[in-house]
Order: sequence, then C-alpha cells, then structure tokens
Amino acid sequence: MIEILQEYGKAYLWTDGYRITGVAMTLWLLVASLALGFVLAVPLSVARASANPWLRLPVWLFTYVFRGTPLYVQLLILYSGVYSLPLVQSQPLLNAFFREGINCAILAFGICSCAYTTEIFAGAIRAVPPGEVEAARVFGMTGFGVYRRIVLPSALRRALPAYGNEVILVLHATSIAFTATVPDILKIARDVNAATYAPFGAFGIAAVLYAAIAFTLVWLFRRAEARLLAFQRPQSTGRTA
Amino acid sequence: MTRHFPEDTMFHPQPDPQSPLAVRVEDLHKRYGPLEVLKGVELAAREGEVVSMIGASGSGKSTFLRCINLLELPSRGRIAVAGEELALRPGRDGNLHAADPRQLRRIRTLLSMVFQGFNLWQHMTVMQNITEAPVHVLGLSRAEARDKAEALLHKVGLYDKRDQYPAHLSGGQQQRIAIARALCMEPRVLLFDEPTSALDPELVGEVLKVIRGLAEEGRTMILVTHEMSFARDVSSQVIFLHNGRIEERGAPAQVFGDPQSERCRQFLSRSG
Repeated sequence: MIEILQEYGKAYLWTDGYRITGVAMTLWLLVASLALGFVLAVPLSVARASANPWLRLPVWLFTYVFRGTPLYVQLLILYSGVYSLPLVQSQPLLNAFFREGINCAILAFGICSCAYTTEIFAGAIRAVPPGEVEAARVFGMTGFGVYRRIVLPSALRRALPAYGNEVILVLHATSIAFTATVPDILKIARDVNAATYAPFGAFGIAAVLYAAIAFTLVWLFRRAEARLLAFQRPQSTGRTA
Repeated sequence: MTRHFPEDTMFHPQPDPQSPLAVRVEDLHKRYGPLEVLKGVELAAREGEVVSMIGASGSGKSTFLRCINLLELPSRGRIAVAGEELALRPGRDGNLHAADPRQLRRIRTLLSMVFQGFNLWQHMTVMQNITEAPVHVLGLSRAEARDKAEALLHKVGLYDKRDQYPAHLSGGQQQRIAIARALCMEPRVLLFDEPTSALDPELVGEVLKVIRGLAEEGRTMILVTHEMSFARDVSSQVIFLHNGRIEERGAPAQVFGDPQSERCRQFLSRSG
C-alpha cells in the first residue's frame, strides 16, 4: 500500500506527469456535468411544472427517456454510437467534439443529471405556496419577475437537500467515465492494479478517495442548507405566539 | 408601538362627496361553469372611504375583491381605478382578460392586497418582504426602500423583527408585516381579504388596531371581513352580499341599525 501511494499517489490525486488524472479529473467531470445539468434543468423544470401541456409534455418525455435508460448505455451511445454516424464524422466540429472521450462523458453525465435535476426542481416549483405567487402578481410583478424573484429562489432552496443527493449520485456515476478512456480515479486504480497485481490496495485507495469527496460534498451541502434554509428551521428565540 | 386608540372610539371617515372615485366597479359577474357566484355587483369607493363587504361564506365577497385586481378573472363587468378604466377583452375561456398586461401591472401597483393567509414570501426576511416589490417593481433604490420599510415597521410595532423570517413570527405579527408590505407600495387603495380570519382570537386585536389606524389616516380601503363590530366602527359604507348579489348597502348605522333586507337582518342576528 505504501509503495503504491509513493509511486502512484500523484496520479491518483492530480496528474500522471503529462495530463490531469485521478481526483482532479473526477472533480472536473463532476463540476462540468453538474454545471451543464443545472443550467439546462432550471428552464426545463419551469416548463415541466407549467400548466401548458405543449411545454410540459416534451420535457416529461425527455426526463422519462433519460431516467428510464442506464447511464452506461447513454454513454456508449454518445461515445461509440454517435461517433460512428457518417454525419458526425464528416462535420469537422462534431468530429473533433465526439472524438474526445471526456467530451462525451461530460455530455452524457450532464444530460442524465439534467433529467433527474429537472424533476427535483419541478417538484420544488410545484411546492411553492400558491399564495406567495399570488402576492407577487398582486404587487405588479411580471410573469418572468415572479419566477426570477419568488418562485425559483424559493424552489431552489427547498430543493437543496434532494439536489445534494443528486450531486453524490453524479459523483459515483462518473466512475464509468474510464470506459470512455477518461483518466479519472477509477481509471488510475485499474492501471495501478494492472501494473502491481495488488487489486485490494489499488481499488481500496480509489474507494477512500471517492468517500472523501462525497463526505466533503455532504458537509458543504449541510452548510449551504443551514444558511439557505434558515427560514424553515424552527427557532426557539423570537417565536412569541 | 403604534398610537393608542381607545376601544370605545367610533370612527366613521366621512369622505368629501366631491372627492374623486378611487375604485369603481360596475355590473361585475363571475361564473364558474354553470355556477354564477357574482351576479352583477357594483361598488364605488371615493378617496378616503372605507368600504366593508360582509356576508356569509360563499356569498361571493372574496371573489369580488379578487376580481378587482384580476386575481380572479370576471366574466363580465367594468373596473376603473383612480379614474383609469382597466382594458378588458373576452378570452376563449369565457372570462375577461387584461387587454394590456402593462396597464394591469401598473393598476395592480395602485391596489395593494392583504390576504387572509398573509402570503409572505417565506424565504425572505421581514425586511426583504417589505422592500421586494418597491425595489423590483417600482424601481426604488434599496436605501430608499429600506428607509420606508423601517418607518413602516415602527408603525406596525415590529421594527425589532426586521431580520427574522416569517415562519418565526406569530400569525398576528405576520399579518402586520403583510400590511407594512402593502403600505410600502404607497397604493391608492388597500384591499383586505378577511385579514383576521386565519388568526387565533387573541391575535385579532393587534391586527384590527393597525387597520383602524390606517382608516383614521384617511386611507382608501375595501375590507372583506367577518368582524361585524369592527366594520361598524371603521366603515363609511357597508355592503352586504348574499348569493352574489348586493342585498343591502349604506352607512354602517343604517345597515347594522336598521337593515331593510330580511336576509341582512337574519345574517346580522346570527353574527351577533
């Protein structure tokens, strides 16, 4: 174990000498996928919670398909399947994009996370008390303003515990990125195993690293919840009735 | 704290009969499918008037109030606020919709509403609740809105709660904050939709005291209420609704003291 750490510790953490690897690569996958998923999920969740079926049903179909198929299959379709299409290979831009495993991995994780995140946010939007929306309209806010100032700030706060869970699931999902040649934590662990024939040590270190990242994320979400969900916490002082 | 108003003071604002109309509603109908809940209700409130709407549950008084600012879409009728008629056009659903959303938003800023369920924004502090619409709808600077909000918080006696969240306050305190929020818009008319109906009995008084203070300032108010003695004290005009029609209207002394309609007499004797 000590020898493995001495020889491969750096590769597990941030680089194998000529590229980003290990924890740094896993974190990059995680952050990029979550950013992509979040940015798409906010408008999609508004559409998903809309009363208008022309907005609601297409988004429902999207989340249904991407939550109903395994992420690994989605990654295979994007990485192997899409790249085999003549259309993609003949377009220089698409060709360059889909040739890189990391691009396919971020796209696959991002879209899949977007599907789950959309449902989480849409549920939170539906849970915003209708009276608060009425109050916003009564004071002359535009439809867009009601969402920007009242509905989304309230819903995203309420969604925080469920979203924290989703972040941990995406972290764990990134461990299939090695199948698209991305040198994340698990890819390094597999290489170490192949080089040293010490699977317990090689994969044990990977597990500890994933757990450390997960616990850090959980701790960060606890702190964010304490701040952003203070309005929901029962409070002993200040309650007078 | 607010100024002290002796309980036995009867206050009837007597607006100048020449003062302009703050709100005029004509021939308002509201239909939910086959059920017609408002059958041609009209109302004219001059500047400085306090109009109370009373009646049994289901008589349509809350629906009427919510039609004035188009929270509910009327099926027929005309609405004018501060002399400006709200442009309405019929929609395919059989209701009247605002023809010009910008006009509707502008008119809504003239009509602040206080709700039965307070409807404070739970994720915002008291101060943020009060300054939200003045800053983001009226375009006041944050400093300006904050100054106004602090003055209003002193007025409703809750300055020390300014950084709390609504869920940490009692119902009566929340409703006083909701009143401050409504006042910070400097509306021409205040609409109260059963402001004390969701409160524990011992909290009703503190809210009525604030509303009474507003009546004494000469604010124009339309008040849907079940508090009969309060309506009698503060109103210049009382409207009794029954099954979507006005059964009785007039000065409080007349409606409460000598009602002409048999239904109004029965209702008042039941309400004590």
